[in-house]
Amino acid sequence: MDRKKLVEFKNVSFQYEEEGALVLNQVSFEIYEGEWVAIIGHNGSGKSTIAKLLNGLLMPKDGEIVVDGQKVDDDTVWDIRKDVGMVFQNPDNQFVGATVQDDVAFGMENRGIPREEMRERIQRTLSAVRMQDYLITEPHRLSGGQKQRVAIASVLAIAPKVLILDEATAMLDPTGRKEIMHTVNDIQESEGLSLITITHDLQEIVQADRVIVMNKGEIWEETTPRELFLQRESLREIGLDVPFVAQLTDELMKQGVELKEAALNHEELLEELWKFNSKM
Amino acid sequence: MEIQFKDVSYIYQENSPFAHKALEDISFTVEAGSFVAVIGHTGSGKSTLIQHLNGLSLPSRGEITIGDFLLSSEGKPKNIRDLRRKVGVVFQYPEHQLFEETVAKDIAFGPKNFDVEQEEIDRRIERLLPAVGLPAEILERSPFDLSGGQKRRVAIAGVLAMAPEVLVLDEPTAGLDPRGQREIMDMFYQLHQERQLTTVLVTHSMEDALAYADKVIILNGGKKYMEGPPLEVFKQTDKLQEVQLDTPEVIHFLNQYNERFGTSLNYQHQTLQELANEIKGQLEVESDE
Repeated sequence: MDRKKLVEFKNVSFQYEEEGALVLNQVSFEIYEGEWVAIIGHNGSGKSTIAKLLNGLLMPKDGEIVVDGQKVDDDTVWDIRKDVGMVFQNPDNQFVGATVQDDVAFGMENRGIPREEMRERIQRTLSAVRMQDYLITEPHRLSGGQKQRVAIASVLAIAPKVLILDEATAMLDPTGRKEIMHTVNDIQESEGLSLITITHDLQEIVQADRVIVMNKGEIWEETTPRELFLQRESLREIGLDVPFVAQLTDELMKQGVELKEAALNHEELLEELWKFNSKM
Repeated sequence: MEIQFKDVSYIYQENSPFAHKALEDISFTVEAGSFVAVIGHTGSGKSTLIQHLNGLSLPSRGEITIGDFLLSSEGKPKNIRDLRRKVGVVFQYPEHQLFEETVAKDIAFGPKNFDVEQEEIDRRIERLLPAVGLPAEILERSPFDLSGGQKRRVAIAGVLAMAPEVLVLDEPTAGLDPRGQREIMDMFYQLHQERQLTTVLVTHSMEDALAYADKVIILNGGKKYMEGPPLEVFKQTDKLQEVQLDTPEVIHFLNQYNERFGTSLNYQHQTLQELANEIKGQLEVESDE
């Protein structure tokens, strides 16, 4: 299938200070239209630096970044930010409006979108994150998960081509986390935009099309979630935790229970055990 | 130190139109030297409960005893400073409270306030650093130049430097990566065991409650909803689901397994290896029949 290349990193290196350690070292990857790519790594692996480079908050020291055919530099950065929307970790640092609808309107006002169009987009994007009943709610009345959903709506409202969630669930409780992952699934299906989720939680990559694993500023692995879950020992070595299902699969296989597929969730593992059972 | 709540209620802005009952008739005991996990949703009363453990809030009704200290609506006990020295609270994102020029000064700030002599403080810091996993070189650096995980360790060292007898932890691993989370929890558990610290952990993580706690208390809407040993509490999947709380994943999986295969495998803190072995054994028995 011939898909359009939306984001391209070509041998990108970055360091925060001259003579400091390289935070990113010769990183290259591509992200295609409509694709969901998870970037995972421990704290300090360079994953968040990638996000900041993608919309020109930082500029590479070496190499080149291309977004939708345009090279990211000081001249193009404002154009590129229209294409790349970001949601960050802290729900309390991104709410600028006095109410939910003001917050969603803020980014659009900055871009001079006509009032009628704004109304329509507020409705549509808040519905996409299931916050349409909170139009005039003040931020302090919202939970962390709800605030993050509004943040996602605000970004969607400016119709980016790529949406980046930079550890957007890290500060949320389990309920908030589920809400966000649910929302991300929904909009990935309904909006068809490219999605980059940055996380250190392997549970959150299960539904991604592809996963890029970062370690010490380099790409350690580029694969599918299913393949990745097989590499239990080495994941642990780079500071990541393997999900329960993968750990149990591993133990079962070690003890001679032959399971064909690497299960991604409980249901798949139970199905594999069922098949094994009926073969015995 | 033993902690006892007797019919404790706490009402924010009592006698005003904004009065709000944050805790309602709560009773429980935390035995001296035990590890108790408090679980509940955002807004369930967990944070209010913590504020009672060192007298930041006083109960509107009922009584709390912590060792020899008594807290009631009658007012603060005279010796509340002693209470605050003995109950160390690690608040959420404790690294936000760092402020001194050097790590050493930051850790020393608490004990200094309680008139501990510098020599004694130095001795404590020397013993503490390895316990919280920080190298000695770090002492003269600015806390603001450290990584997130290191900052948190410095903040925790500051609480431990007061030599508390009770440790209260409010979601101590929030925002850390998986390795950081495990390291910090293992560290607290080791401190708990080595120093017989009575530990109260407020958490969203059923997994941590299952792994470390002797007792679990579940709060819902300001009331005590459940209380008991983790294995007893987490068995009651339906009751937990009624208040939208999950069971730890291993227990959830075994429930699904039992349903599918008509078995009754139980979680008793087995390792995954032991569990895999049980599952294998069970599958073999089934196929022989």
